[in-house]
Amino acid sequence: MLNRRNMLHGMAAGVGATFGASLFPERIMASPVNNTNPRRIIFFMQNQGFDPATCVPKGMTSSGSLAKARLPEPIEALEPYKERLHIINGLHGMHTSPSHSAFFGALGGYRGSDGVPPSAPTIDYELSKVLPQTLLPHLCIGMDSIENMTTKPTIATLSASGAGQPIFMHSNPNHLYQMLYGGISTGDIRLQHEARSNVLNQIEKLAAANGRSLPTTDRQRYGQYVQGFKDVNGLRDRLDTVSDHLRKFAPAVDERYTKPEFETDWHDVLLDLGISALTSGITNTLTIGSGRGQIFGAWKGLGVEDQGHNLGHMKQPDNPIWIKIRQYNSRMLVRIMESLESVPEGSGTMMDHTLIVYTSNNADKQHTNGANWPVMLLGNFNGTFKTGCFTQLDGKRPINALFATLLRVAGQNIDRFNMNDQLARKFDTGTGPLKEVLA
Amino acid sequence: MNNVMIVLAVMLSWGVLPVASGETYTPGRKVNKDFASFAKAFLSSHCADCHGDTEPEGSLSLHNLGPVDEVNAGTWEAVWAQVTLKEMPPKDAEQPRVVERLQFSDWIVGELTRVMRDKGGFRAHLDPNKGNFVDHGLLFGTLPAGIRLEPTSSPARIWRVTPQEHITRLNELINRESDFDPEKPGLRTHGDVVPTNHGGELKLYFGTDRIIRWEGGTVAYATAVKSVPAVLSSARNHGLENYPDFYTVNSAEATQILSKAEDILQYMAYGPLSIANPEQIADDPKTYDKVKPKGDIRGLPTAIVYSTKVVRPLTPVYHLMKHEGISDKHLRDAVDYLFEALTFRLPSNEESDTYLKIVKQSVEKLGKEDGVILGLSSIFLDRDALFRPELGENGKPDQHGRVMLQDSELGLAVNHALSYIKPDEQLRNAIVEGRMRTRADVKREVERMLADNSMRKPRLLRFFRDYFDHDLGGYICKDAKALASTGASNQGQAHYRAMFDATASSDRLIELILQEDKDVLRQLLTTDKVVATTADKVYFGKKLTREETAAAVIAAKKAAEEQVKKDAVALESLEKEVVSLEARLKGNPEAKETRKALDRKKKLLASAKKKVSAGKKRRASGNHSVAEAKLSGPKMYARVSRRSFGAGSMRPDRILATAPAGQRLGILTHPSWLVAHSDAMDNHAILRGRWIRERLLGGGIPDVPITVDAMLPDEPQNTLRERMQVTRKTYCWTCHRKMDPLGLPFEMYNHAGLYRETELNKPVDTTGEIIDSGDPTLDGKVANAIDMIETLAASKRAEQVFVRYAFRFWMGRNETLNDAPVLQEAYQAYKNTDGSMKALLVSLLTSDAFLYRTGSEPTFGEAN
Repeated sequence: MLNRRNMLHGMAAGVGATFGASLFPERIMASPVNNTNPRRIIFFMQNQGFDPATCVPKGMTSSGSLAKARLPEPIEALEPYKERLHIINGLHGMHTSPSHSAFFGALGGYRGSDGVPPSAPTIDYELSKVLPQTLLPHLCIGMDSIENMTTKPTIATLSASGAGQPIFMHSNPNHLYQMLYGGISTGDIRLQHEARSNVLNQIEKLAAANGRSLPTTDRQRYGQYVQGFKDVNGLRDRLDTVSDHLRKFAPAVDERYTKPEFETDWHDVLLDLGISALTSGITNTLTIGSGRGQIFGAWKGLGVEDQGHNLGHMKQPDNPIWIKIRQYNSRMLVRIMESLESVPEGSGTMMDHTLIVYTSNNADKQHTNGANWPVMLLGNFNGTFKTGCFTQLDGKRPINALFATLLRVAGQNIDRFNMNDQLARKFDTGTGPLKEVLA
Repeated sequence: MNNVMIVLAVMLSWGVLPVASGETYTPGRKVNKDFASFAKAFLSSHCADCHGDTEPEGSLSLHNLGPVDEVNAGTWEAVWAQVTLKEMPPKDAEQPRVVERLQFSDWIVGELTRVMRDKGGFRAHLDPNKGNFVDHGLLFGTLPAGIRLEPTSSPARIWRVTPQEHITRLNELINRESDFDPEKPGLRTHGDVVPTNHGGELKLYFGTDRIIRWEGGTVAYATAVKSVPAVLSSARNHGLENYPDFYTVNSAEATQILSKAEDILQYMAYGPLSIANPEQIADDPKTYDKVKPKGDIRGLPTAIVYSTKVVRPLTPVYHLMKHEGISDKHLRDAVDYLFEALTFRLPSNEESDTYLKIVKQSVEKLGKEDGVILGLSSIFLDRDALFRPELGENGKPDQHGRVMLQDSELGLAVNHALSYIKPDEQLRNAIVEGRMRTRADVKREVERMLADNSMRKPRLLRFFRDYFDHDLGGYICKDAKALASTGASNQGQAHYRAMFDATASSDRLIELILQEDKDVLRQLLTTDKVVATTADKVYFGKKLTREETAAAVIAAKKAAEEQVKKDAVALESLEKEVVSLEARLKGNPEAKETRKALDRKKKLLASAKKKVSAGKKRRASGNHSVAEAKLSGPKMYARVSRRSFGAGSMRPDRILATAPAGQRLGILTHPSWLVAHSDAMDNHAILRGRWIRERLLGGGIPDVPITVDAMLPDEPQNTLRERMQVTRKTYCWTCHRKMDPLGLPFEMYNHAGLYRETELNKPVDTTGEIIDSGDPTLDGKVANAIDMIETLAASKRAEQVFVRYAFRFWMGRNETLNDAPVLQEAYQAYKNTDGSMKALLVSLLTSDAFLYRTGSEPTFGEAN
């Protein structure tokens, strides 16, 4: 069915950070302070697996409080924040074929593999539809080796808006900055922004002119095509009109954008852009693909000389390389939390209304059958999730159950996510949300 | 007296029902009737007895059903489906006259269209799955008095290109595909669709034809190569997938197209240099080894070496960027070239000027390098690059208000009927020279194109994919344990790969039958030929019974033991010879012949040990649950994706074999079709039955009522047939009797498509029945799928239904009664030529339905 709401999300689907609601300009103005029920969610997907030994405190074998536990070295940066941390061990993703990455299946909860197109929408997209509307319903960023990010600045491996409808993630921070903050940019980015604006304006005019002679039956369908450009161009105009607001949140462009020494320079600034899109209220759903859903990736800036596939062949516990990567992830998580905490919202801060889901697109390790899929949650999403604790599950509920829980909390009355009853008989002993993680 | 009774009493007092016997019915015309005087009376006459206010049948009371409104729309839709399909009134009740039923059906559609216009709309009657709601007997039989047909046409429209068409069109810009080789007719060549890759994903690949080396394995290759997935979306469902009104282009797709356009333009201008460093372009990869980045570069773009040979098309975009500065001529050449390459027609002067201006403005802002690329990318978003217009803007309406397509619109419609790439030289000339304006022009071009084997016709294959749905097997996610129980491999992606291979194999088989062009449908349904890969020995094999498997294991064990003994003897003998030679050499170290003989023996020994070890491994991994099919025959090729996965890419090599006798008959018994109509755990007898009902018998199935929990019980100890007993409840059986008995004969195969004689260790029940087919001579019990297929393949009805599906595919809409003459003529063309697909196509593509458009046709709602 064609309608405006679907259309806006259709737009989000294709671009990852697409131009959203032209009809909700108030959101961007009001988001930091006025929205009475704001919520946002961030998915952080590190590739090559998330070994539970790198996150579960030593000696903790059953559910309990983290208060007296010491977080393992790879995530020790989260120690000061552990009262808002919830480590979940014992979900599974055996139906997702996660060995060498489940790709779309990691956030979709269905079979995925290299070259396999998405078979249904992923959880981040579904949440972006039900969370309070923003200009960009959904932003996806992907971090990889500098060569891959340069040659393939947008790829789609993790998020999807439906079967065969991948959502692209952004990996070139210059392009992303131009898209989000072109209106307040200077120099080359400004020129690019202006030239692109001109082209898009002209395309809109041409598209509109070509629609005038269409039969009435086709006008609505073609009208959406034209409307898409109107929205893109309209959004740009509105972003321009709130440029003072955006300036408060837009990161400063420095040499890390234009002359990165290591790929981690781009990782850092991509994260800055992602955070700024949240704090400025441009979006409320952010998906971060560290390693871009695949089995490669590089972190030379951390002093990790190995890259790519070999990283996945290494055992993660007590491995200096993986400690560095996970510590880097953890610092990123801290940056997200601190940034959101610095923005007042309602009677608290943005972080009070936020949930970060940290996991891997590869379950617990690269070569895995998905019998265990560790997840960390940060934040309580308006007090709905338990925090400061470790939960050991029995391995009989799938990641889909967690995703169904997220949708439930976001207001969707569903018992399962992307899992029909037939599959559930094999892969889910329960139904409805994961009670163990809810407050 | 309740309201229904009052109305009925009034009508009876009149002595007649509201439809006067002398009234004329013209399909598609406004039904000048209202609820009170017409619809309510119909309900009272034909529905009220069973669906009254007390204990109504199926708990559906129509007693208080008022005029169509938003709230009761669902009920009215159900009434529409039941009455239109002649499910209601029941067979043993008095039936409305034909015209009365048609008017009632049209009236409901009109009212639903009007009422639901701003509430999501009502489009069910336009859905291809509802195409069979038009009565087959009326389309191919003699019309009763009172029905007057109008000359047919299709609505003026724009038709969004499909993802496959779009990718194939873009591929033309950056890759040069091989010319057709008559010696190897199955190989993918220029004009074929860009196929999905090893995992079933549709992608555009950059420069893979120049890759001469890469580092790492298959996944490393797939990650390192530049590729972009299809941006346009489409649903992947069973059935016809592309009517013109299905899709639009949303803004996300548009912005992505813009971004991908820049990548494509860069590649057009600079080739692999746009995605690689200069030192990666070398004919001798060793030269790159000297300078390549240190460390593990697997999965990185820098792991690839490209040959220096330019293979991409060198277009005006290349020339524009190659020369310093910018001349208007180069710029306009590039604009015009791209416009034609993307829209398949020449730009008007105004269009050319407009895009030239956009490019110049971008250049002014960004300079040549970036400005040209950005400016030219706008052409990728031209309306006609994404939508194909069939508006009939330039013709004069005939006395029926129809306009015949002409020139580029007609030429492109003809081109699109067969091809995904731009018109060939002859068709292009015909368009430009004003020779695409008449029916004869169309006939000339269609016949010419159909006769030319070197001209690829991917739309033909697309039709058969839409008709059979044999391309969906690789997308059916299988439970690993359930898959293993079929006898097929559940290791990694082996099964899915096999299914994508099977799709290509079935495509090729279809092509072979089309090449013969005799009794096409019957051949497709009954051929004993199989286009096969090595893996198909299992998929076309027979799943052994438990006892047979046990016996096979024992036999294999015995054979292995014997082999081990033989191997030991052979190895011992060789070892002795080696020892002996070594001793001789020790005695005479200078004996060259002895040294040579020793070396030879050592090599022989090493090779024998390797063979023994490989044999052990092979025996250990042997599949004892399947009797492999003995497939042999001439070598051939199938069209598969090229180099998407490095050394693991799909291979085109096939053989044309004969299927095991008595076990298979035609495409419906091939694993590609069977798996496409299965689910994660088992066969999908309902889906298979539905396929037979709709696509061979022309029957319609109403939508599943939302109140129905359409689930089979989870009873692993029971067969599918036993579990399907739940559909025998009266409420379900009304519809399921149309499907289940047609799907259950396929229980002779398991859900990976292997032939079987037992299920759960009991003889498998493969019986079924053809019920109410519409042709009483077809009705009756069948022993198994082969028996059923033999019956149906010989039937006139199946051929006529096939013609209906071909009509829908090529006209892009459901047939109406006004199309009856077109369908009858197409069927006659097919019949008179002994089942020639070419004749059928020529007939359809020269029909009024294909050639004529009516502008802004009033919808049913507006008419009402």
